[in-house]
Amino acid sequence: MTGHLPPNPQHQGMDYGETEALHESHAAIVREKVEPRMGREPLSLWLITIYGLAVFFGGAYLGRYGGNWSGDGLDYLGGAPRVASHAGAGGAAAEQTTELTPAQKGAKIFSANCATCHQANGLGVAGQYPPLAGSEIVIGGSRRPVMILLKGLQGPLTVKGQKFGSAVMQPWDKTLTDQKIADVLTYVRQEWGNTASPISAEGVAAMRKELASRAESWTEPDILAVPATEDAPGAAPAAPGGEAKPGASPAAPPKA
Amino acid sequence: MSTTVEIEPEPLLSPADVTAAEVDRVERALIDSSTRLPVLVFYTSAIAWLILSTLLSIVTALKLHAPDTLAEVPFLTWGRLSPAQFDILIYGWASMAGMGTAIWLMARLCRTTLRHPLLLISGAAFWNLGVLMGTVGILAGGSTGYEWLEYPGYAAVALFCAYLLIMTWGLIMFRFRRRGHVYITQWYLLGAFLWFPWLYAAAQLMLFVFPVQGVMQAAVNWWFANNLLFLWFGSIGLGTAYYMIPKVIGRPVHSYYLATLGFWTFALFSSWTGMQRLIDGPFPAWMVTASIAATILTLIPVATVGLNHHMTMRGFFPLLRYSPTLRFTVFGAISYTAFSFVGVMMSLRSMARLVHFTEVSVGYTYLGLYAFFTMVMFGSMYYIVPRLVGREWRYASLIKLHFWSATYGIGLMVLLLLVGGFAQGVSLNDPTLPFSESMDTIAPYLRGRSLSGLLLTISHFVFAFHFGLMLLGFGRTASVPTFLNPLEREPGGGH
Repeated sequence: MTGHLPPNPQHQGMDYGETEALHESHAAIVREKVEPRMGREPLSLWLITIYGLAVFFGGAYLGRYGGNWSGDGLDYLGGAPRVASHAGAGGAAAEQTTELTPAQKGAKIFSANCATCHQANGLGVAGQYPPLAGSEIVIGGSRRPVMILLKGLQGPLTVKGQKFGSAVMQPWDKTLTDQKIADVLTYVRQEWGNTASPISAEGVAAMRKELASRAESWTEPDILAVPATEDAPGAAPAAPGGEAKPGASPAAPPKA
Repeated sequence: MSTTVEIEPEPLLSPADVTAAEVDRVERALIDSSTRLPVLVFYTSAIAWLILSTLLSIVTALKLHAPDTLAEVPFLTWGRLSPAQFDILIYGWASMAGMGTAIWLMARLCRTTLRHPLLLISGAAFWNLGVLMGTVGILAGGSTGYEWLEYPGYAAVALFCAYLLIMTWGLIMFRFRRRGHVYITQWYLLGAFLWFPWLYAAAQLMLFVFPVQGVMQAAVNWWFANNLLFLWFGSIGLGTAYYMIPKVIGRPVHSYYLATLGFWTFALFSSWTGMQRLIDGPFPAWMVTASIAATILTLIPVATVGLNHHMTMRGFFPLLRYSPTLRFTVFGAISYTAFSFVGVMMSLRSMARLVHFTEVSVGYTYLGLYAFFTMVMFGSMYYIVPRLVGREWRYASLIKLHFWSATYGIGLMVLLLLVGGFAQGVSLNDPTLPFSESMDTIAPYLRGRSLSGLLLTISHFVFAFHFGLMLLGFGRTASVPTFLNPLEREPGGGH
């Protein structure tokens, strides 16, 4: 584009040392004002006040219409976030974690601790680990299952007419709290077609106290010595239809 | 208060001062001549793109009046022509003009002759190549479909490489500046040099290389488009105004503290804006709200800069009668304030529901890109080009014609689009009106817009012609600048 510049001798072969022609060729530079400088007028107080108010307003606006700062909050007025809700869980997300039923919590405990042997389908492994689905020990009175879970079980065992070998079930009283034992047993007694009553944490606590002095695991004769329908103290009697609501408060077991 | 304003005295002509002033002048002359080739390359390319964009916009306007025109030619359909025209305006004209001015200002304010001109020349070549490839790509049907990012990938790569060269040059210049105070203009220019690659690379990466999911693409797109106006064009335009206004009137900028406050709040709040264009969209409310709050808070830098310029100009407004640079720059600076106020109005939820699918957003864009940025660039060119070619502008009448046709053109266009867009929004929100009838409300305004386009076309051709005369050496060789009006008395303006 410089090819279009005129063949002006003053501009040809520009030598940074040349100063003679500067006054003629750069009249604009000679006459121009000094380079801009900065004055030091102080900020006025009312300006700072107004800006402070603006920042305050901006912050308040952000807080008011920020939609709870949630990635799911599409409503700028702060309405409930749209979550794929669980049935019956209508509240905010924070409340939902507390609204898991004992059986739902029990399901988590089961898959973490029990499913390795008894399997996720509750059928166990033939000849090694007895099934829980339909097991007469599980669906009978609640005393037997709580006993086994607290103190463990060893030696041969017969469940649903099948013989099981010498696999050992460990005691869980050192590992699981009363509440967790109650939850997982409630789950086991109401899953896979089982329809037995839920078990309360209070019942487990009473059993734990009662069996505190026992060190070794149960064997089959110990279990059979307990009547099949006997419940743990405080546990609800087995409901005929198994319709007892698992979410009911343990302090007030449902009357069937 | 006006009596307390201190005017920096002219350098006295005592023997000691003459030497210092002489040294300064020689230094400035050397710096200016070292910037000649790169800056003229950028300016010439920019003006060539401006003319091309103007020609294309004539065709697009024609197609609005008579939709059947050229309808059988695929590459001249509205959907390709319109983005091609607008992208030429922002990448070809506005960005190249802005970079040309930025280069000249950078060299002057760093008080060092321009180093590594090859970086700039090759940068300009790649940039031109990128715009050319992008335009051809869009016309051939390769548009990406994202607003202001329509250029296909290969053109974007060329643009980005070109930009890296130019940015490298800018950083080198700043590194080797003559020691001394870093002037406000340099803050803005350095900001612009660093913000543009951030904006452009982030948008390209998040939209094309590792595309974000679903609606978030719209968020990235609007963040980019809004901040291209604010952080890229805004910084260069404000930086230029901060140089030109005090330079022409020969008085220091009113307050350093205001300038600092204005710059940092500008940097802080601007980058949060963009999502306010997505009001009522399926986005987390906090994203949109944060952008609205940030847009409202941009009033702080805007008011600060406006106040600073106004106080600097106080007592010197009569100079607008003579100085073309001052007239264009002050018009641009005032438009910047208007641009920001319209932006805040549009970002409020109640208002956005009415106007955000209408011509109002087009008017807003032109207010920023043309009434503010382009006018400031014209002003700086009227100042810089005579110093590069060693001649004065040939015709004061052509400058006047340019100014008035540009002013009336852009003023009319923005007014029609804002008012028409508002009317359009009202009828769009009227459920009893069929859609096609609601479109009829905007038609008279768009016809009026064609008239404003005509005025702008005149102004662009006049300016390009005048610039061509300067380039070919037909400028005046007088030692007085080309003032818009004959001097009645000594105006005191060093132009």
